[in-house]
Amino acid sequence: MMNKKINIILWLVLIVILAFIPKLFGIYYTNMVITFAIFSVYALSLNMLLGYTGLLSFGHAMFFGMGGYGTALALKHIDGIGVFPAIGIGAMAAIGLALILSPLVVRVSGTAFAMLHLAFGQLLYVLALKMYKITGGEDGIGNFPVPGLFTESLKTSPEHLYYLVIIILGVCTWLMWFFTKTPFGQIQVGIRDNAKRIDYLGYKVPQTKAVVYTLSALFAGVAGSLYGLFHNLVSADGSLGIGMSFAPIVSTMIGGVGSFFGPILGVAIFQGIDELILRYTESTELVMGVILIFVVMFLPKGVMGLINTLKLKWKSRSTGKAEMEKAS
Amino acid sequence: MDPTVSMYISQGMHGIAYGMILFLIASGLNIIFGMMGILNMAHAAFFMLAGYFCYQIVGVTGSFWLGLIFAPLLTAGLGVLMERIFLRRASAAGHFGELILTMGIASVIVALIKKIWGTESLPLHVPEILQGMVNVAGVSYPVYRLFVIGLALVVLAFMMLLLYRTRLGKIVRAAVSDRDMVNALGININLIFMFVFGVGTWMAGLAGVAIAPILTVFPGLADQVGMDAFIVVVTGGFGSLAGAFIVSIVFGLLSSYGVQFVSQFAPVLMVVFMAIVLAFRPNGLFGVKDSK
Repeated sequence: MMNKKINIILWLVLIVILAFIPKLFGIYYTNMVITFAIFSVYALSLNMLLGYTGLLSFGHAMFFGMGGYGTALALKHIDGIGVFPAIGIGAMAAIGLALILSPLVVRVSGTAFAMLHLAFGQLLYVLALKMYKITGGEDGIGNFPVPGLFTESLKTSPEHLYYLVIIILGVCTWLMWFFTKTPFGQIQVGIRDNAKRIDYLGYKVPQTKAVVYTLSALFAGVAGSLYGLFHNLVSADGSLGIGMSFAPIVSTMIGGVGSFFGPILGVAIFQGIDELILRYTESTELVMGVILIFVVMFLPKGVMGLINTLKLKWKSRSTGKAEMEKAS
Repeated sequence: MDPTVSMYISQGMHGIAYGMILFLIASGLNIIFGMMGILNMAHAAFFMLAGYFCYQIVGVTGSFWLGLIFAPLLTAGLGVLMERIFLRRASAAGHFGELILTMGIASVIVALIKKIWGTESLPLHVPEILQGMVNVAGVSYPVYRLFVIGLALVVLAFMMLLLYRTRLGKIVRAAVSDRDMVNALGININLIFMFVFGVGTWMAGLAGVAIAPILTVFPGLADQVGMDAFIVVVTGGFGSLAGAFIVSIVFGLLSSYGVQFVSQFAPVLMVVFMAIVLAFRPNGLFGVKDSK
């Protein structure tokens, strides 16, 4: 009971802080929070596959990019379209791609799954570069109109953009969290741990994977669509490139695979590191590679795993102490 | 001879040369995967690194032949080091962890290459004897590509002999099918792993040196050719050398004829081929081993 109350209070405090960030901290930090929120949802959508279903994708950026391109194209070519339908079109584009791919990819798992996505991701990247009449090639689609929530364009009202992004992403995060608690979400974990047994129990493994895959694509698409709106630019390198596929993997690894909030923590750490790297050196690749190696070698369960072990140690120590006091 | 026919033939030879190089990379990747169950993402980075080593050796000594011998050996040494220092100690992280570890190593190698040699593409010149063209049955053909095909065939024959005619090869093949059992029989499996890793990276290194004069050396090389090699392994089937060979040649031909006819979308052809194969055979053309 106590715990629940404290939890509710903490959530309320968080919401209040989030609500006042644009007023308190100014545009620079507001933008940082927007980026953080977008990448959190993106990493969470990857973790739906990696942490909960045991499928590692090296091409998750294609859904992210599909969302971005869908929204940008919609805003550019359809006159008078609102911002929500545009985001919806982006999400639909991601879902469409997932539906096309899912019959193929749900049949493989492990390394083949990862490499297939690497290949498809590259394919989409190359296509986006080559079909410049639609996608703008290397320049991407930039400077498209962004309608506002009410009357003003979101370009000139960053606060509205902030609230829009935070609310949509908050809802997405809650949905994903809720999803892991449903019986269906539990089957997903079962598939990760022992697909054969789940199959014997009468659940349909490929179909379940396909549903999870599509949902994951949906959330990645929403994140990508908001990313496009935020930067007012969607480009092959910015949204579809291989770096965009690896970024959420790195943050998920840093934060901790399998725990729901691990990726969010990971994104926060990743962003902090990124900020520092850009201040001191230009070789992001090098530092990220070293961090990856370090995390895999010494923190295989990520920072969340480290926290959990420390907690356990602390608990056992304190109970140990209490027992010793009792004995004496 | 009719110029179009000779064009077809020479394009075909280009394709086979490229396919051979792909096979050199893919077979190393494949053997390592078969034994350790991990796809070495750093393989392509090693492949590229060998090209840079060769460039450096040629720059210092002026001899391509020295580069051809020592660059792959240096690369193999680094590969063995990587296996010993990193991979062997990362088993706690599971297969995904190891996969991501090799990815991290790959990105460190690429970053270091950019730091040391810069980002522009560096030309590598072959000795006079390999320059120029020869006439084969009325089709003139660059000597160097013939040399590459020959080199790959020699390495292939050597590998086949090693794998199928020696005791060591027998142990390696046994370890591919069941490593725990081989270990239980009292064979030092770690040593075998190290050896296989070394040979695998050596072959990648050889491929890197072989392709350097054709494509020049630049930091995107690993992405460009490495991606093709990964696709070869996935399509041919994990752990299958025959599959890797056939798919390599098919891909080589697809890419050279593809550039000829649908130049912009040549990379798309390969992925489409892979998608068709995997739609019907999820484990690849000749895949028997379940990819974990």
